[in-house]
Amino acid sequence: MRAARLFSGPELGAGPESFHDHRRRLGPAPAGSRDLIATLERSGLRGRGGGAFPVATKWRAVAKRSRGTAVVLANGAEGEPLSWKDRVLMAVRPHLVLDGAFMAASTVGAAQVLLYVGEEHRTAAAAMSRALAERPEPERSIARLLASPNRYVAGEESAAVHFVNSGVATPTTVPPRPYERGVDGRATLVQNVESLAQVALAGRFGDEWYRSAGIDGQGTLLLSLSGAVAAPGVMEVETGTTVGEAVAEAGGSSEPPRAVLLGGYFGTWVDASQAWAMPLETSRLKALGLSLGTGVVSILPDRACGVCETARMMQYLAGESAAQCGPCFFGLRALADACTGIAEGRSGPAELQRLQRWSSQVRGRGACRHPDGAVGFLQSALQVFWHEFQHHRAHGIQRVA
Amino acid sequence: MNDTLLWYTTRGAGAVTLLLLTASVALGVLTTRRWSPSGWPRFLVAGLHRNLALLTLVFLGLHILTAVVDPFTHLGWTAAVIPFASSYRPVWLGLGTIAAELLLAVVVTSLLRGVFGYAAWRAIHWLTYASWPVALIHGLGTGTDSGSAWLRVLDVACLVAVLVAVGARLWLKPSDPLAGARGRFREAVERPLGP
Repeated sequence: MRAARLFSGPELGAGPESFHDHRRRLGPAPAGSRDLIATLERSGLRGRGGGAFPVATKWRAVAKRSRGTAVVLANGAEGEPLSWKDRVLMAVRPHLVLDGAFMAASTVGAAQVLLYVGEEHRTAAAAMSRALAERPEPERSIARLLASPNRYVAGEESAAVHFVNSGVATPTTVPPRPYERGVDGRATLVQNVESLAQVALAGRFGDEWYRSAGIDGQGTLLLSLSGAVAAPGVMEVETGTTVGEAVAEAGGSSEPPRAVLLGGYFGTWVDASQAWAMPLETSRLKALGLSLGTGVVSILPDRACGVCETARMMQYLAGESAAQCGPCFFGLRALADACTGIAEGRSGPAELQRLQRWSSQVRGRGACRHPDGAVGFLQSALQVFWHEFQHHRAHGIQRVA
Repeated sequence: MNDTLLWYTTRGAGAVTLLLLTASVALGVLTTRRWSPSGWPRFLVAGLHRNLALLTLVFLGLHILTAVVDPFTHLGWTAAVIPFASSYRPVWLGLGTIAAELLLAVVVTSLLRGVFGYAAWRAIHWLTYASWPVALIHGLGTGTDSGSAWLRVLDVACLVAVLVAVGARLWLKPSDPLAGARGRFREAVERPLGP
């Protein structure tokens, strides 16, 4: 079901809500405190950047190491090609994100707030920049806007920290994780902008209010809907809304669906018939071996080809390897080329066994999770499009594009 | 147990320890320039380096244990732990104690690398460059066999092996197959740092 928490207030088409309107509508943001962490813990809020890590746990870890010098990094890099929700949120409700970031800063004891926004997300960056200029001191002077390079791995939290420290947005080996040693060696809270906006509301209205929406009280969620739907775009829904309900809210399917991509390029393909009744909620999807990722729901129409689509996405992911680890750089390239070979009808089903063997050899062999995400995606494609992968030589004869 | 047998074991284990340690050190030095014999994947070299180091500890343990329990020298456990504490050839034995403890630190931090983090592990791993020569000198200076020709040959061979490996590390450029791609990716994501 559609919901309006982050997106309540003025029409989204009206552009960024001003600080004045934001304050009049929601009242002042409460100051950060230990109680806020307890509130977040009771609310059960999880990170919305793809990892679904409990927010309260992360904040407590940073607060413990802070000594007043921690850093808060609001992550709006949004490098996932099928996700728009972060840039839409920043473009229409920048002060929710800023409220959350400054509440985080006063709670964990941070002296610096960094707003890490994708350099291509110009509308979002402009809105955040203008919003920051509207904030009172000392908020304005402790915050800084940074443009993150337009690469898939640039939003990974260690890559974000690496970028701030050295100007190069490549992931680094962990540990130490950013909450231990991040920006300038200080404890750093890297939190997705939607998570921070959720904090701005949960901190104001409390955990009971937060848990009054969504399945198991999981609140609301921003989705990026794309593909074969009548009205693609970003939508706020109650957590636990099924894929079918979300599609119906977006005006229904524009053509018969074949499969659904859940979670984005690091996510999984699910057969449309199974996906339709699936609730969009982290732990329920996890039980099915799936993930909500960054809230991407993309519908592949029946007339499109899952093999070709998978090959194209694998090529993209291989090209986004930071070339730091051999298994990722060479492994993803080999997997992508094998997929392309099948898609172009140059290689037969024998290649499929190699694909499966290589997939298992690449997993877990990178400094970051880039190879793991790509391989998980590929394995779901092999499962859902198994028949298509096996008979893909016949492409073009059976299917007319 | 026969005293003579203990004494022979100490000497034999010492020589084997030196051989294993030298092989592990040489391979470790060479991995920095991604060397491997033709037909070997590089992970084999890394695995061999690791296993040789672990095997070194086994023989080192045997070497120390048999030396300590040998009734003839009366070394005692203090001398095995605290350098220069023994009454029997304190300097030469002390060097052995130091080399053993450095090596132990290197191996333990390697096994727990995930806990220490990469930078700390690497810093401690450099201690190998201290441990190996001290161990070699310990072998040259003490021991029943130190004057014998076969041990001299062994010492020289070990010295040459490590010197060649270090020379290769210093003079030859590492061949990193990812260097080009990594450079291009870094250029694409690199931005000058703001004020």
